[in-house]
Formats: sequence, structure tokens, C-alpha cells
Amino acid sequence: MTLALQLIANGLVVGGLLCLVALGLALIFGVMRVVNFAHGEFVTLGAFATYLLVANLHVSPLLGIPLAFALGAVAGAVVQRAIIARTTGRPELDVLMTTYALSIVALGAFSQAFGGDFRSYAEGPSGTLTLSGVTIGWRSLTVLLVCLALGGATVLIMRRARIGIALRALAQNRDAAASCGIDVQRSELFAFSLSVGLAAAAGSLVSLIGTVTPYVGHEWVLDAFVVVVLGGMGSITGAMIAAILLGLVHSVASFVLDDSWAKIVAYLLLYAVLLVRPQGLLGKADG
Amino acid sequence: MAESSARRTAIFGIVATAAVASLCAALPWLGVSAYLRTLLYYGAYYLALGQAWNLMSGLTGYVSFAHGALAGIGAYAVVIAMNAGLPLWLSLLCAAAATALASLVIGLTSLRLRGTAFTFATLFFQELVLLIVRKLPFVGGPGGIVLEEILPAWLPYLLMLGVAAGATMLLLVIRRTRTGLRILALKDDEAAANAAGINATRLKLILFCVSAAIAGATGAVHGLFASSLFPNVVFAVDLSIVALAVPLIGGAGTASGPVVGALLYVVIREVLQVIAPGMHLTIVGLVLLVVILFLRDGVVVALARAIRHRRALPPALAIGPEPR
Repeated sequence: MTLALQLIANGLVVGGLLCLVALGLALIFGVMRVVNFAHGEFVTLGAFATYLLVANLHVSPLLGIPLAFALGAVAGAVVQRAIIARTTGRPELDVLMTTYALSIVALGAFSQAFGGDFRSYAEGPSGTLTLSGVTIGWRSLTVLLVCLALGGATVLIMRRARIGIALRALAQNRDAAASCGIDVQRSELFAFSLSVGLAAAAGSLVSLIGTVTPYVGHEWVLDAFVVVVLGGMGSITGAMIAAILLGLVHSVASFVLDDSWAKIVAYLLLYAVLLVRPQGLLGKADG
Repeated sequence: MAESSARRTAIFGIVATAAVASLCAALPWLGVSAYLRTLLYYGAYYLALGQAWNLMSGLTGYVSFAHGALAGIGAYAVVIAMNAGLPLWLSLLCAAAATALASLVIGLTSLRLRGTAFTFATLFFQELVLLIVRKLPFVGGPGGIVLEEILPAWLPYLLMLGVAAGATMLLLVIRRTRTGLRILALKDDEAAANAAGINATRLKLILFCVSAAIAGATGAVHGLFASSLFPNVVFAVDLSIVALAVPLIGGAGTASGPVVGALLYVVIREVLQVIAPGMHLTIVGLVLLVVILFLRDGVVVALARAIRHRRALPPALAIGPEPR
């Protein structure tokens, strides 16, 4: 029983982080029909930004989270305006290749700047908390809480705020939304900015519980893609459910087998879902 | 008229491909340096892989991120088959067949669907194969495997030229066949193609299997060339990037695009190794980005358009019908 609770606790931490990364992917795909293969590199950006901040100024890494979010939001806005906006209305292949090329550029730049070293820091929350036999690190608990807060805020924005309603309208029918007076360009800029901000904040959290390498975001984003397909392309609720589910699968599979097998299981699960229910858990069936 | 001129272009292309391939094949015996031979080998390697990608992704628009991994499967298969004592030709055949079989994991799960499902399936395949190969003891696990037989250096060179030339000819021919027309219809509007009686799923599946088999054969020949295979190198994402960069830079969906792309890519690679060894990935990504955003049909078409544009400028000098 305690073991089950422990595995669930571990799974929730991974699931929460996956949720944060996948949320941005689902948002952009839902609103703009853009698959952002460079999303993982923004996670890496947030991780390195936090690492550099903590390693050089010795401040709490918690300070890095809002900073990474802001940095990501600005970077996202620039990338959207300078590059992604140019591909609007072009064939899908062009859009895919544009974000893929961006990811290659960023991956190469990170590898060149930081090499293959594994980096981490000792600052920030430490120690563990034991509740009825379940042990959870303060760092992991911080991650979970921040994920909850950011995820909750995003859902609230999407449900209640004017811009959130505009984004949902765009996701439903772009032309109709535009003819109702919704500023498409501004809304897309906001969506991309928010999405990348979330990715960078997730990166900041990743640096808190793991090591920072140029490939760290790439590894997380692959699982996040599994989550997005599993949840139904573009469905934010679906992505959140799938993220928690995959976090739990990952937690159990890494306990029973090992970390590589956990990934193999996740990918095989994805092929199985494509075969049986291609529209994902909550996606709408269409061609 | 247009029909016969298109046929003439195709025949000219095949003759030219055969001529260039034979010339390259003869070069080692004409006293060309080993360095140039290696460059040509890599040019042919990238061309073969690029044409394999082009056959599926260039013609249909379904983007594959896994052609490097498919080539890796071919490389592993050929070494395993050769070490088991099979003759060379049979080993190569086994490698191509094994790769086509492995590609069914992607094809059967995702090609019934339209859009990005296929791309995702290839993305995960790339990671999945590496993870699984590292777990399998009979293929050497993380330590990799070594080809026991030592082959003469000219053999992989000639084989690679053959695969590259063959793949290029297939691209030249396929556009002129009924299958080529079906593919064209599918790319333009899949729903309409389906309605016109084309079995789009089957067509995509067959095309992807053939494309994977070519990638497998390419990887197999390179496996003979490299002779020691390490999973982290063979299944690195780099090769999949090359497979799509070569046709995209030259012009995806055309037979000549990858030829130009492969030449450019080899030159870029060599220059970068001298001036900025660590920046290889970044520069390739940047080139790709510029080509997609500003020269969207690739360098060949952009160049042809620029030349035509200059010719078309003074209308008084234009003689005969506008070349199309």
C-alpha cells in the first residue's frame, strides 16, 4: 500500500512536469495548427537560464522560475513574429520543417555552448518530507506545487479571460472567429508566448530535480508529444489527463523494470493508441 | 508535344545518371586520391538516403524523421547476416527486407490517418529503435557489433554508387507511371484521390515500405563501409536530419534536387570541419531554415526561376514559346 502511494507520488511529479510541457504544445496546436518541434529546446533554455542564475549569483532557484517564464515568453514572442508567422497559410510540410529546423539550430547551439556535461546545483529546497510512509523530496514537492499553480492559472485563463475565450474560438473555427472581430495575429502571439513561457518554466523546474544537459528538453518533449497524441491533438484537458497517466506509467515501469524500459513502454503505448483510438483519449475523430 | 518532351527529359535523366555513376565508379582506377573517393562515397551515401526520404516524404508531403534510424536497421541487419555466414548479395537483400518490415511499425499504425500522426510515429521510432537495440544482447547491446569479414574498400564504394544511381532513376521513372499520377493526386488532395478510387492508405504504405527498403539498403552498404557499429552513432538523430536536409535543400519531390542537395551538403560538411567543427548541426539547421522560408522549392528551382526571370526581362528578345 505504501509502495503504491509512493509510486503514485513519484508519478505525479513526473506527470505534473509533463503536463506543463504538453500544455503549451496542445495550446499552439489547437489554436494555430502548428506542431512546435522546437518546444523542447525552450525547456532547455529555461533549465540553463536557471542553472546559470543559481551557479553565478547563488540565489534560490525558485527565483529562476518566474525569470525563466519571462525569458521564455519574450523568446516565444520573437520567434513567433520573426519566423512562425511567415509560415501561416503554407503547406503543413513547410511548417513542420520550420519548427524542426529551429530545434536543430537551438540544439546545436546549446551543445556548442555547454558541451555534454551534466550540470546541477545544491541551492534551493532540500531534504525530504515523510507522510504516512510516503517519502517525497521538498524539491519534488515544489515542482508539483508550481506545476499545479501554473497549470491551474493556464486553465483559468483559457476558461475565463477574454483572450482565453478568443483562443478557444480560434481553435474552433479560425475564419468565423476572425470575422467576429478577434485579432488573430495578437491572439496567436499571446498563445505562442504563453506556450513557450510555460516550457521555459518547466525547464526551470527540471533543473531543480534533475541534471541540466543540452538534450534535457529534447528528452522531455518527446514524452510530451506522446502525451499530446495520447490526449488527442490540441485538447488541453486531454493532454492534462494523459500527462498524469503517462507519469504514473513511467513511475511504475521504472520501478519494475528500469528507466529505458519505461520510455520503451511509453512509445509502444503510443503506437497501440494510434492503432486502436487514433484520435486520442479526448480528441474528436476527423480524417 | 509536352508528353514526348517530358519523356525525353526522363530518358535524358536516366542516361545522365548512368553516365555520371559509371564515371564515378571508374575514378578509383584512374588515379584519383583516396580523399576525393571518400568525398564521392559520402556524396553517394547522402544522395541515396535523400532519395529514399524523397520517395516518401518529397512525393507525398508526409514528413519522416526516421530515415536515419531505418538506415541504421539496415546496417545492423547486414552485419548480423554477414557474421552468420550469408553471402553478400543475400545479406544486402535481408537488410532491405528487414528494414521494410520494421517500417511497418510506423506504416500500419499511422498511415491510415491523415496529417501529423505519421510524423509523430517516425519521431518516436527514431528513439524507440535506439532504446531497444541498446537492450538486445544478441546485437551487442550498448557496445555494438563488428563485421568479422574484411572487405576491399572499393566494394562499398561501388555498391553505394549503385544504390544512389538506382534510387535516382526510380525517382525519375516513377513520376511517369500511373503510380506516379496516383501519388500526385494524393499529394494534391487526399480526400479527392480517395473519392476517385485511389486506395490512398495502401499507396502510402507501399511507398513507405519501398522508401524504407532503399534506406535499409543504403544503411547496409554503409554498414559494410564502417564495419564497426555503435548504437549511439548508428541511431543518432543526425542521419535522419541529413536524410531530409539533402532533398529539401536541393528541392523535395524532384529527382534532381537531392543530387544538388547531396553535393552542397558534402561541401558544407567539409568546409565546416575546417572552419567551425562544433557548429555543424547549427549551420545545417540554419541553411534548412533559410531554404524553407525563402527558397521553398529548393535551390534548383530557385536558380532555374532566377535564370528564367532574367531571360524573360526584355520581351523584345523572347523567341519562341515561354519554357515551362
